[in-house]
Amino acid sequence: MAEETVLTDDFLRQLINVGEVDILVGLPTHNNARTIEPVIRAIQAGILKCFPRERVVIINADGGSQDGTPELVIRASIDDVWNVSKVYALRTLHSISTRYARNPEPGTALRTILAAADLLRAKACVVVSPDSTTIEPDWLQRLVRPVYNDNFDLVAPIYRRQKFEGVLMRNLLYPMTRAIYGYRVREPYASEFAISGRLATDFLTKETWNAEWGRIGAEICLTITAITGKYRVCQSFLGTKAQPARSASDLVAAMRRTVGALFLSLDSNFPLWSAIADSQPVPTLGAQSEVMLEPVRVNRKRLREMFATGVAQLEPVLRSILSASTLSELQRIAALEVNEFNYPADVWAKTVFEFAASYHKCVISRDHIVQALVPLYRGRTLSFLLENRDGSGQDMEKSVESLCGEFERLKPYLLEVWADRK
Amino acid sequence: MSIKTKCLSRRTKVLSWTPENLLRNGLIAGRRADRYPHCYSIDVGAGGPAIIRDGTRLPLKREAGWYKDAIIYQIHVRTFFDSNSDGIGDFHGLAQKLDYVQELGVNAIWLMPFFSSPLRDDGYDISDYKSVHPSYGTLEDFKTFLSSAHDRGIRVIIEMVANHTSDQHPWFLESRSSQDNPKRDWYVWSDTDTTYRGTRIIFLDTEMSNWAWDPISKSYYWHRFFSHQPDLNYDNPAVCEEMWNVMKFWLELGVDGFRLDAVPYLIEREGTSCENLPETHEVIRELRKKVDDQFPGAILLAEANQWPADLRPYFGNGDEFHMAFHFPLMPRMFMGLRLEDRKPITEILQQTPEIPATCQWCLFLRNHDELTLEMVTDIERDYMYDIYASDKTMRLNLGIRRRLAPLLDNDRRRIELMNGMLMSLPGTPIIYYGDEIGMGDNIYLGDRNGVRTPMQWSGGWNGGFSTADPESLYSPPILNPVYGYQAVNVLSQKRTEHSLLSWMKHIMRIRRSSPVFGAGSIEFLYPANHRVLAYVRQLGKETVLVVNNLSSAAQAVELDLRRYKGNILIEMFGRNIFPRIGDVPYLLTMGPYQFYWFRLRRI
Repeated sequence: MAEETVLTDDFLRQLINVGEVDILVGLPTHNNARTIEPVIRAIQAGILKCFPRERVVIINADGGSQDGTPELVIRASIDDVWNVSKVYALRTLHSISTRYARNPEPGTALRTILAAADLLRAKACVVVSPDSTTIEPDWLQRLVRPVYNDNFDLVAPIYRRQKFEGVLMRNLLYPMTRAIYGYRVREPYASEFAISGRLATDFLTKETWNAEWGRIGAEICLTITAITGKYRVCQSFLGTKAQPARSASDLVAAMRRTVGALFLSLDSNFPLWSAIADSQPVPTLGAQSEVMLEPVRVNRKRLREMFATGVAQLEPVLRSILSASTLSELQRIAALEVNEFNYPADVWAKTVFEFAASYHKCVISRDHIVQALVPLYRGRTLSFLLENRDGSGQDMEKSVESLCGEFERLKPYLLEVWADRK
Repeated sequence: MSIKTKCLSRRTKVLSWTPENLLRNGLIAGRRADRYPHCYSIDVGAGGPAIIRDGTRLPLKREAGWYKDAIIYQIHVRTFFDSNSDGIGDFHGLAQKLDYVQELGVNAIWLMPFFSSPLRDDGYDISDYKSVHPSYGTLEDFKTFLSSAHDRGIRVIIEMVANHTSDQHPWFLESRSSQDNPKRDWYVWSDTDTTYRGTRIIFLDTEMSNWAWDPISKSYYWHRFFSHQPDLNYDNPAVCEEMWNVMKFWLELGVDGFRLDAVPYLIEREGTSCENLPETHEVIRELRKKVDDQFPGAILLAEANQWPADLRPYFGNGDEFHMAFHFPLMPRMFMGLRLEDRKPITEILQQTPEIPATCQWCLFLRNHDELTLEMVTDIERDYMYDIYASDKTMRLNLGIRRRLAPLLDNDRRRIELMNGMLMSLPGTPIIYYGDEIGMGDNIYLGDRNGVRTPMQWSGGWNGGFSTADPESLYSPPILNPVYGYQAVNVLSQKRTEHSLLSWMKHIMRIRRSSPVFGAGSIEFLYPANHRVLAYVRQLGKETVLVVNNLSSAAQAVELDLRRYKGNILIEMFGRNIFPRIGDVPYLLTMGPYQFYWFRLRRI
């Protein structure tokens, strides 16, 4: 299943020593020493509390950290040799680390973890983000139990978020994935999730690993593979997700990893998604938590400026991507002042669909297409903030639901531009 | 060549001996018997059994440390062989089966209580310490058995239930008869049942309190076990003296030692747990001194179900017990096997303190009691119950009342692996009767009787145990198609080279071939593969490497053996040679539940 290149000899030796496991906890890292200790502690506590009898291994796929991250992970081992922390455990807990050969790439890290899960015949594989400093020991149970006990194949998380966190998820990834693939998965691109051994094995055989999106957008590919492969998917409420501070350049990278991968998935899955007309809910487990309403400081004026500047400066690019009517509408919106700014849901859905179709047609460089969407997304963000500024959590949920409705309603439009656009 | 014998004294048993027999029984160690065509006899008199050569008493018995190289076979007279067709095993029957015991390869027998008793706790409720229960025969029968065992080089350790008596014992009957009876203070009495409140109740399933009301003397008496087993008062010197008289009685008959039952509970003190008290150790030291002075070489074996650190004091400075059961190790061996993880085993052995050089641990897999889970954590106990006793009928007190084979799902590989560890970990192994052939149990019999069913000698009438009517047996034999005597019995297994019985004989023969197992040091190797338990036993120039695969799947393991570089490994069962140890980790591949014993040799 796994290609040899993913597993170094040393890593393979470590896997031999670990042997067959019930649960594999994957930790993709790259210079996460600052945040990883509470994550490791929570994972270890979660294992000891919720899975004391199961054979569990923590596997760190590291992208070449220089800050001692792997050493911190390895220290979480509980065995009869190194258990200096005197943590009580019924059985040995291996915590091992491998540095994968390539440069830091989330996809390669995930592939390494899944290859290990496949070799160790893990019944459940859970991946945890190394910067989830708010992780609780129970997260492990909430993610793993549905796979381990209830035969689900993919458990996506639902976080308790501040109401203006996860804007990209709420305004693009969720609505579009839902409209395209017909499953209401709130976090189709998750940094924490659990999958079954059989899904891990199946996903490993996909050709996607050799393509760029396999390396940069493997997580969303995994969700799409689960959905398109008719695997049993569910969601589990976790808790508050810490949002790491991000710069403007992070957004571009995030858009590449997520939106780019999502757009790319449409190519190979057209026969499937083109036949899906509506969406169905996904079983959701655990106690739903309220959206947090603490105020967030947002520079609305700057968002509007970035949007307007983008629309103006990228006009030649946008002209090749968007229809004339959509571009015209964007130019109209760009002229609005902050207090009257509104990027309506239907226009946003059309914008995204036209970008997806252009991506499919490769009207220009695909990477440029994704980058060109960034300023437009900022405009949509501003509109979303303004719409929900004074609303409750429920109001915001209604707003997201309404947006999803627009994406689903306009799906025939996507099919139209997908086919027609030259 | 036959050798004449002559009677030397009234207590000297006259026997015919051949030099081959003497050699086989280790009575003339390292010598060719045909060079000693002398007149031999066996003296079973005071000071223990001895062989007499040409009128000279040879110190063939009780050489120092004999118990370290011993393999002990635990037998209940009642369960072994019925010679008079009354449905109950007896000493005459046991003596008849000593050839089997000898062939098995053990060199010591531990006898469960055979004294006069109302048998409300299978003989652990003694009503006369100096007599044999009539069901089992007479004192003369015992003596005959004892000398027959010694003839075969088999030592005999008997039970000494020192903590308590039966409530039918004359001492107790006197003690309860009135508050001013001279024996009143031989037991622990109180006007209230609130004394010693910090003391746990051991038989949780049956007893509500450690105090029982005596309607005759209208006060409470102390009992750590069943209420019909009142505790003796060891603060009373007369009790100590009388118990020594009892022990002396049996030592003079020639027994080789005692297994002292329920040792931690001899003394009570307010505000304590009434366990492991310093005064208890004083009592034991006194007994030990008397044993050493008057019967050198006789041993004391402690039954003290305690954590290793709490057990350590029972060895004292080599002046208390010679041996003690390692209770916490046993459940962890079962745990390690099912977890496929060596951690429970290595951790408890890491916590096991050093003991004086003259002392020894006693190791066992199963015995006449439940598989006790007192010395495990709550999580471990729950795990053990779920894995090994999912049917609650199998549970008793804090333990599991099952035999070895059913506990291991009758999986031959697991039975062999567990016995392999038993024979190779530091200590003297004890085999419970019937486990050498894989006998089953009957969980529908009450208390612990399900693991005390008749020995299965053959597939015939009553499994060859007795010619009595089946209905009259003290206990129904195991009848089910898997473990019943028709499927599991000595006769059929003796005929098969690859039977469990044959294998058990083989492994005991190999263990006996090297003193390293009984007296050697142990050093654990910690291979990264946690499913593999590996250790090196060493004694003098002899080094043995033991590698156990606890997993149900094949495993690869790399062992760091650099310090033994240049040695070749000789597998002790097949005597095959394995590659020489070099600088790189030594790679072994092991089948499911496989284990290796390697003798290291530098050639």
